Amino acid sequence: MPRFLPSFYIFLFLLVAAAFICMAGPCETAASDVDSIIFKGADYLYKEQLEKAEKCFKEAVRLDPKNEFAHNKLGIVYAKQMRFDDAFKEFLLVTKLDGKNTFAHKMIGILYLKKGEMNLAFDRFNSIVKIDPNNADAYYFIGAIYNFRHNQAKAIEYLKKARDAASHEADTHYRLAKAFHNADMVENAMLEYQRALEIKPAYTKALNEIGWIYYNRGDPDKAISAWKKTLKINNRDRDAVYNIAKAYNDLALNAAKSGNRAEAIKYWKKVISINPGNKAAKYYLNKMLPG
Amino acid sequence: MHRRYFLKLLSKGAFASLGFLSCFSYLRAEDSLEYALKGQDLIQKKRYKDAIAVLKKAIAADPKSDWAFGLLGRAYLGDDKKAESVAAFREAVRLNPDDSYSRMVIEKITQKPIPRIKDKKRPLTPLESSAHMEEASMLKRIRSKKGLGYQLRRVVIDAGHGGFDSGAVGPSGLKEKDVTLDLALRLDQKLKQSGRIKSFLTRSGDYYVPLSDRTVTANQFQADLFVSLHINANQKRSAKGSETYFCSEKASSAEAHKVAALENSVLKFDEPYKKKPGYIDIEEILFKFEQTLYWNESSRFAEVFQQKLESHLPFKSRGVHSANFYVLRRAKMPSILLETGFVSNPEEEAVLKQPGFREKIANSIAMGLL
Ligand SMILES: [Zn+2]
Repeated sequence: MPRFLPSFYIFLFLLVAAAFICMAGPCETAASDVDSIIFKGADYLYKEQLEKAEKCFKEAVRLDPKNEFAHNKLGIVYAKQMRFDDAFKEFLLVTKLDGKNTFAHKMIGILYLKKGEMNLAFDRFNSIVKIDPNNADAYYFIGAIYNFRHNQAKAIEYLKKARDAASHEADTHYRLAKAFHNADMVENAMLEYQRALEIKPAYTKALNEIGWIYYNRGDPDKAISAWKKTLKINNRDRDAVYNIAKAYNDLALNAAKSGNRAEAIKYWKKVISINPGNKAAKYYLNKMLPG
Repeated sequence: MHRRYFLKLLSKGAFASLGFLSCFSYLRAEDSLEYALKGQDLIQKKRYKDAIAVLKKAIAADPKSDWAFGLLGRAYLGDDKKAESVAAFREAVRLNPDDSYSRMVIEKITQKPIPRIKDKKRPLTPLESSAHMEEASMLKRIRSKKGLGYQLRRVVIDAGHGGFDSGAVGPSGLKEKDVTLDLALRLDQKLKQSGRIKSFLTRSGDYYVPLSDRTVTANQFQADLFVSLHINANQKRSAKGSETYFCSEKASSAEAHKVAALENSVLKFDEPYKKKPGYIDIEEILFKFEQTLYWNESSRFAEVFQQKLESHLPFKSRGVHSANFYVLRRAKMPSILLETGFVSNPEEEAVLKQPGFREKIANSIAMGLL
């Protein structure tokens, strides 16, 4: 073995080292303790600076390979970068470090769902509620899966558990409302849609469903006003546009059937004002209006 | 982790690390500031219980102080009251979404199980009481059905075309819209007689219903299945038989693509759904998953229907296909489209005119449903 490396090799080494530092450079923080590095990483993550966040969390797990939080955060960064296999590995590692890390279990379940592995996801969420009987998210996903499996009673049971464990989740109230609605339990559906709206007034999906409850009760005016509320929040909400168009179309057709021409024209004009491309309204208006 | 919080955290853009800027706002609540400083001092001395008491006063003096809530979170954490700590940090983040530190601490604590804070009891509102009563009676009924597997309860029957849109027209003038309406009315009657499935029609007469309205009807009634009835047509008069379609992103064949194009032709497509890149939305994952499930279920329904049509009708079976049908795409439930025969084929047109034959078609579809 030569006593001195030829200068060419030294140069090559430096080049490679420099390239390595540029590529996988350290976390951009003056601090060197793991907690500060993790905080810096989290801050980058919240700012959507994923590459910088990745560097910090990688640095953190290098310094402290058993840091579950750093591994979880690294998993989130990977998931956000669409590197789902890498993310999966991080979360799996966390569950090996501590089987009680329910966050990692939950993310594994979600990644299973993303892959279309409903049964594996279901088992994973069930394992979470065994560890933590208060885990609202796990109940939520189990409830959603029961719904996918058309098991209404179980869907309602688990979504209620999710609601009771964390009553401030608009999505939970909405999904529970849908399950009730689907089971013809309209009072409960209404209550849960309203709760979703209390938490998130811009929850247009809930407004749209409330509209149908009114409509099916024979109150098109209240229905239309619910859908118009949706349009105030998002004027391009296609469900609301089509729902209103349908309601006015129905009113117009009924008016036409009972010989009330003026009323029919009025409603078809309303259809056009909300949905200018509506072929039915266009056609009938053309037919009814002279010229 | 808190799901809503998790979503927010994944989607939010710029955050400043700690709320330095908002510090100025504390000046107007001098008492609060004073208490908070005292609290901070007590935390440093590890006198967490005292710190909690003082910080509660700080919050009482200024309930909008995210800084005081953040300190309270730290004090609770020091006192090993994790649930209370998380609640305080959440309030800090709610008041100041740029508070990365509080966000991170919440995530760190909630990685693992924490005890729960019990909600306070309060009297029920009228809607809550009626909901309770409804639940008691309905849930019993639903539970008694447990184990019976997937049961269709609500079906929306869509008679294709109508009004000025005749659909395909046969060589001797038979219109697709008239056949589909007659089939739909017959099928609706059969389902109503069975008493097992509630059925709804997208149209009950010869008038035009826009494609968007048809799926809206399915969504209106929370239907479990949407069945759209059509009669096929082809430039080649020899083309014949029945086929069933379900919705898929890509057509299963060039022929299937053509059929979808023909059925879609009455409308110009809406702009496709735009998605934000780099955004993990759990509801989106669930939605996608649900849609895939619907499409899989649709394909199973399509197989069943095609089999019934094949064994009960003298039509040649052209099998099951998939394509991107607008009328199916917007349905929030499994949905299929049946093409029972070719109106362009003189022989099939002749049988499609016969009420007895239509009855047979309606019967075989009903058999697929019941
Ligand atoms: Zn057609």
